[in-house]
Amino acid sequence: MRALAPLALFALPLLAQHGRYLSDSHHPSIGDPVAIAAGTKLFMGSCAGCHGPDGGGGARGPNLVRRSLWHPLSDDAIFQVVRKGVPGTDMPPTKLADDQTWNLVAFIHSLTGPASSNPVPGDPAAGQAVYWGAKAGCGNCHSIRGQGGSMGPDLSNVGGSRPLAVIREAIVEPAKDLYYLGNEAATVVLKNGQTLRGVAKNRSNYSLQLVDSTGVLHLLQMNDVKNLTLSASTPMPTDFATRLSKAELRDLLAYLAAQDARAAEGKGSPQ
Amino acid sequence: MKRLTLLSLLLTLALTAQVRHEDVAKSPGNDWLTYAGSYNGWRYSPLSQITAANAKNIVPKWVYHVPDARGLRSSPLVYQGVLYITNGNSVHAIDARSGRLVWQYSDPRAKEGGVNRGAAIWADKVYFTTSDNYLTALNRHTGALLFNKKFADVEKGTTSTSAPVIAKGKVIVGSAGGDGGMRGFVMALSADTGAEIWKAYTVPAKGEKGADTWGDLLEWGGGAAWLSGTYDPELNTLFWTTGNPWPDYNGSVRSGDNLYTCSLLALDLDTGKMKWYFQFTPHDTHDWDAQSWPILVDTEINGRPRKAVLHANRNGFFYALDRVTGEFLRATQLIDKITWAKGIDDKGRPILLPNSEPTPQGNWVCPSVKGATNWMGQSYNPGTGLLYVLTLEQCGMYYRSSQDPQPMKNFSGGGATEEGGQVVLRALDPKTGKRAWEYPMTGLGRMWTGTVSTAGNVLFSGDDDGHFVALDAKTGKNLWHFNIGETLSASPITYSVDGKQYVAIASASAVFSFGLFEPAVGVQSPVIQIK
Repeated sequence: MRALAPLALFALPLLAQHGRYLSDSHHPSIGDPVAIAAGTKLFMGSCAGCHGPDGGGGARGPNLVRRSLWHPLSDDAIFQVVRKGVPGTDMPPTKLADDQTWNLVAFIHSLTGPASSNPVPGDPAAGQAVYWGAKAGCGNCHSIRGQGGSMGPDLSNVGGSRPLAVIREAIVEPAKDLYYLGNEAATVVLKNGQTLRGVAKNRSNYSLQLVDSTGVLHLLQMNDVKNLTLSASTPMPTDFATRLSKAELRDLLAYLAAQDARAAEGKGSPQ
Repeated sequence: MKRLTLLSLLLTLALTAQVRHEDVAKSPGNDWLTYAGSYNGWRYSPLSQITAANAKNIVPKWVYHVPDARGLRSSPLVYQGVLYITNGNSVHAIDARSGRLVWQYSDPRAKEGGVNRGAAIWADKVYFTTSDNYLTALNRHTGALLFNKKFADVEKGTTSTSAPVIAKGKVIVGSAGGDGGMRGFVMALSADTGAEIWKAYTVPAKGEKGADTWGDLLEWGGGAAWLSGTYDPELNTLFWTTGNPWPDYNGSVRSGDNLYTCSLLALDLDTGKMKWYFQFTPHDTHDWDAQSWPILVDTEINGRPRKAVLHANRNGFFYALDRVTGEFLRATQLIDKITWAKGIDDKGRPILLPNSEPTPQGNWVCPSVKGATNWMGQSYNPGTGLLYVLTLEQCGMYYRSSQDPQPMKNFSGGGATEEGGQVVLRALDPKTGKRAWEYPMTGLGRMWTGTVSTAGNVLFSGDDDGHFVALDAKTGKNLWHFNIGETLSASPITYSVDGKQYVAIASASAVFSFGLFEPAVGVQSPVIQIK
């Protein structure tokens, strides 16, 4: 399994489809950059202490981004929570005016949108060096626009499809996600004696679709397989929180946030 | 042991294989590498494991349900055991033996929804276009994005629906949106980078040749190129059809022939330069796009061997042209009832009949707005020498509105209705244009499905009632049918993996693959360890 150790994982393939990325409110503040900027200030001053600066959660407050991906609240419901608080918890009511509350809702809404659509701290150029450098080694497994490895999910559109908090979590807490199907590290010994190592893109009792460590797809019948060994945990390294400095992590996130298939051509390319 | 040897061979091939120009030029064999199967547009396969004699033993092998699909129009590609199918703004790679998903790519932020007719494959890349005109190239093994490049502005009324055709490293893409006002074009993009190589407009600019066949609406004249075309490597010529002039039903605001709408264009692959054109329906007012396949066949016509291009048109006639010169050779009736033209004259121009134009009160005209045929995949079988075309015997009312034309506001200058009608699958003899046999169908004239035929003398087609059927290609006799239970709007293909022939078709929401019955083999689970 040594060869597979640096495999990386973004184990959220379905979330991008179900996230509440589009406005579900007709309130004019939603999606308005001025309102979002005003909401950012309010959030950093009053909310970030518990919910984290990117809404990713903290010791006292829940992760606002992840929760909304699985079970989205409407903007009106967020408004009511901000206004009234959640009785019986640490979440207090507020006395903000309506327009200020909407500014806050606009910011919280934007947190669940793609990272590329929000202002992100850090230096993308420095983050590019981190990504392709030996210390983080992201590019060994993850490709961006045709460059890099093919064992981990392609990240060409990671900023265009996932909120910043979700990207951060996938880097610093990869084991948190239990959804490995489609990304299982696998070693296959065939009845003809051949051994293949790679990632099982899909598998059933009857067939196995495996991309090997050179990026080549193999379509196998289980009747041709003698032994199949699967990794019990994510192949993504779990020590990035300590391996990278705070600045490196911030810059790496800025680089990943800029990876957007819908951005202008050439933007965010690894060269 | 033989099986294992074959498997090893496949694995070895997988390490090195790249789709080359020669591979597509020789397609189809075991693989199906371009929308129509081959550059000449035949939708014909040399596979012969399934025959007219054993077609009775066809059974479903697998079904793949395409997420969120409601009206798939995609014709699959197959390369080395992987089947690629598109939905609007997404591609799905499926294990062609098991129907299991390998990867999927989707671009949910594409502006516009809409249909997609299929992908293209070249080297190690799978290509498709988004509805808002991004050519997107993906790694065929993993689905990773390699590049995407915008080639047209959706803001100017252009969308993209057709499968690209790739020849000599050029990705040929078209343009859709002609019913709302836009300027149609065909483009060649680099298969390596997506960069533009050439762009051929289907409607001239002011001052250009052909501009005098229009009024003031030149800029929004339509002539969309929303279906892939065919390619003759020897002549290095692309054959591409163009859609209706805009506004569809109000011809009074665009007097003249409206070149080059409702036409077949012969374009040089290297430069995009027009070698010749032929307009089937000058000054069309019935939305009779020429989007039906230009099929390249060398055959004897009027007693002379010809490099011909065959074309069954929506206007009700079946044409044969010389594909070297564009010379009109012959036109015969495709359907029984045509009320707008008495026939086609020696030059290829329709001989018009009165009371056929759309009016405020409406005129009853045959064929209907859906056309005598449409973009459904046709098949030419060199074994039987027959061309198989799905035709629609249907008439309808055509109305004209007096409103001022407004581009990109869903305005078409009137409207049309259709009533009743019957789909009839017809086998045509290219030499004479006459029918060899026909297969009438029940249904409501709602299908858009097409055909594929094989060296096993089997013709596969969808019917107008949601059945997938196999017919004897020589006689039209029904051999087998399967009720898919959904409206069929895509054309079937056939391929082979591990020496077994499959036939696949997309229904409204899923991909079905069929093959010959064989007794099941129990699967022995391998030793699985998780550590």
